[in-house]
Amino acid sequence: MQITIGQYFPGDSLLHRMDPRAKILITIALIVGVFLADSVLSYAAMFAFAFAMIRLSRISVKYIVKGLKPIMFIVIFTFVINMFFTTGGTELVRWRFIRITDSGVRAASFMALRLVLLVIVTQLLTLTTSSIALTDGIESLLKPLARIGFPAHELAMMMSIAMRFIPTLMEETDKIMKAQMARGADFESGSLIQRARAMLPLLVPLFVSAFRRADELALAMEARCYRGGRGRTRMKQLRCTKLDAAGAAVAAALLAVVAVL
Amino acid sequence: MPIEVKDLTHVYMPGTPFEKKALDGVSFTLENGEFVGLIGHTGSGKSTLIMHLNGLLKPTLGSVTVDGLDLSDKNVSLRDVRKRVGLVFQYPEYQLFEETVIGDVMFGPKNLGLGAEECRARAEEALAQVGLPDAALWEKSPFELSGGQKRRVAIAGVLAMKPGTLILDEPTAGLDPRGRDEIMALMRAIHAKGTTVVMVSHSMTDVSRLCGRILVMNHARLTLDGSPADVFADAARLREAGLDLPPCAALAERLRGAGFAGIPGEAFTQEALAPAILAALGRGNV
Ligand SMILES: Nc1ncnc2c1ncn2[C@@H]1O[C@H](COP(=O)(O)OP(=O)(O)OP(=O)(O)O)[C@@H](O)[C@H]1O
Ligand SMILES: [Mg+2]
Repeated sequence: MQITIGQYFPGDSLLHRMDPRAKILITIALIVGVFLADSVLSYAAMFAFAFAMIRLSRISVKYIVKGLKPIMFIVIFTFVINMFFTTGGTELVRWRFIRITDSGVRAASFMALRLVLLVIVTQLLTLTTSSIALTDGIESLLKPLARIGFPAHELAMMMSIAMRFIPTLMEETDKIMKAQMARGADFESGSLIQRARAMLPLLVPLFVSAFRRADELALAMEARCYRGGRGRTRMKQLRCTKLDAAGAAVAAALLAVVAVL
Repeated sequence: MPIEVKDLTHVYMPGTPFEKKALDGVSFTLENGEFVGLIGHTGSGKSTLIMHLNGLLKPTLGSVTVDGLDLSDKNVSLRDVRKRVGLVFQYPEYQLFEETVIGDVMFGPKNLGLGAEECRARAEEALAQVGLPDAALWEKSPFELSGGQKRRVAIAGVLAMKPGTLILDEPTAGLDPRGRDEIMALMRAIHAKGTTVVMVSHSMTDVSRLCGRILVMNHARLTLDGSPADVFADAARLREAGLDLPPCAALAERLRGAGFAGIPGEAFTQEALAPAILAALGRGNV
C-alpha cells in the first residue's frame, strides 16, 4: 500500500503547526498561482517556493516524489497531447503528419509542470495536516455559508468519516486480497475481462464489510446522542497565530510575483 | 513437507515514519505431521510470520523454503506453493463471496485449474469434513449462515485445496465454547489424517491441549520453541513474553513449589494432572 495522498505524515515542523484554515487558504492561493503562472520565471518561482515548503515541512523530497508516481501517467499523457496538438509558433520537427512546434513544447511543458505543482502543493497540505484538523478547518471556513442553509457541519462530518475510513478500507482490502490469494486467486495476470472478473471475490466481501461498518457507526453515533452541528463545542479550538499571518503574507507575495512575471 | 524458515526478518513500510520491524531473525523448521501452536502477545508478529509461509509476504531478509522450493525464487510458482500450504486467516468468514456455499468452497480448487467435477467432489468432501454434510445447506447463500457455520465454510474453502500443511490464524477467535470445541476437534481430525497443522492462538489452554510443539513469539522474535513440557518449564520467559502458564501447568508449578516434587512437567492438562496429584497424595511426601 504505497499511497501517500491523503496520508498524514506526523511531525512538528512549522508547516505542521500552522492553522489548518490558513493552510487551506494558502493552498487555494497557490493553486490559483499555478494557473496564473505562464513564464519560465514564474514557474521557477513556484518550484522554488514549493521546494522551500518541502524543506520546512521536514518531509524528505524523496517521499514527495514517490507520491507523484501515481500521476506520472497523466502527466506524460497531457504532455504528449499538448505537444502534438498545439499549433502556431516555429516548427521544430516534421515527420509525416506529426508536427512539433516550439509553442507546442512550451505549452506541453507548462501543463506538465502545472500538474506536478498541483499535486505537490495539495500533498503538502494533506501530509502536514491530520484529517481531523483538515475537516475542522473546512468546516470553520464554510461556516458563514451555514447562514444561507448550507450544511457545513454535515459536509465536514461526512468528509471526516470518509477520511477516517480510507486507511481502514485499505487495510481491509489488503486482508481480503491476501485471503483470496491464499485460495489461489490471481489479481495480477490475465486479460482485462479476466482481471475484472477476478475482482469479484474482493469486491463482494469489501462491500459487505463497508455496509456493516456504516451500520455499526451509525448505531454508535446515535447511542451517543449525536444530532448534528448546532451548539456543539470543540475540544480543540482553532487559533490563528503570527505564523499563519507570516505564511499568508509569503503566499500573497508569491502570487504577486507570479502574476507580474 | 518440511518448511524451513531461516533468519527471517520483515520490516513493514520501510523508509517511512511508520516503519515497523515485525519479524526479527526468526528461524525454525516445521517437520511433516507436526501439530504446532504459535503463540504470542498482540502485535508480536504471528500473523506476519504465517503470511511468509505461503509467499503472501516476501522476507526483507532471510529465506523461507517449502518442500525445497525457495519462496524468494522468481521461478517458483506461487500457485504451487499455495497448493502445498493452506492458510486460513483470522475471521475467515469475511472472505466469503459466492452466491452459494458450495460455490465458495469450489473457488480454491478452481483456481488450481482442476476440472469442474473434481472441484465439486473436493468441495463436498471438505464440507463434510468440517461438519456440514447437509446438501440442502450447500445451495444456500453463505451470508445466511450463522457465524460458526460461516467459519467452517471458510475453513472448508482452504481444505478443498488439499494442502499438506494447514495454517490457521486464531481459528477459535470470537466463538462460543461449543463452537471452539468443534473447531478444535476439527483440527485434531485434520491432523490425524496426516496434515501438518499450525495453529496461531492466544489461548495457552487450547495450545497445550492440542499441540505437540509450541513456538512463542515476543516482540518480533521467537523466544521459545519446544514441546509443551519444555516451554511450560520456562515460566519466567513466558511471563517476559506477556503470557501465562495454562491453568493446569500453573497449578502443577505451584504444587511443585509447595513440596510435591513428584508432579512431572508433562502434567499440564487436566487429564494428566489429576492422576499425578492423586499419585503424589498417595505417596504423601509432605
Ligand atoms: N500491513 C501492515 N503495515 C504496517 N504494519 C503492520 C502491518 N501488519 C502488521 N503490522 C505491524 O506489525 C506488527 C506485527 O503484527 P502482526 O499482525 O503480525 O501481529 P500478531 O502477532 O498477529 O498480533 P495479533 O495477536 O493482534 O493478531 C504489529 O506491530 C503491527 O502493528
Ligand atoms: Mg494476528
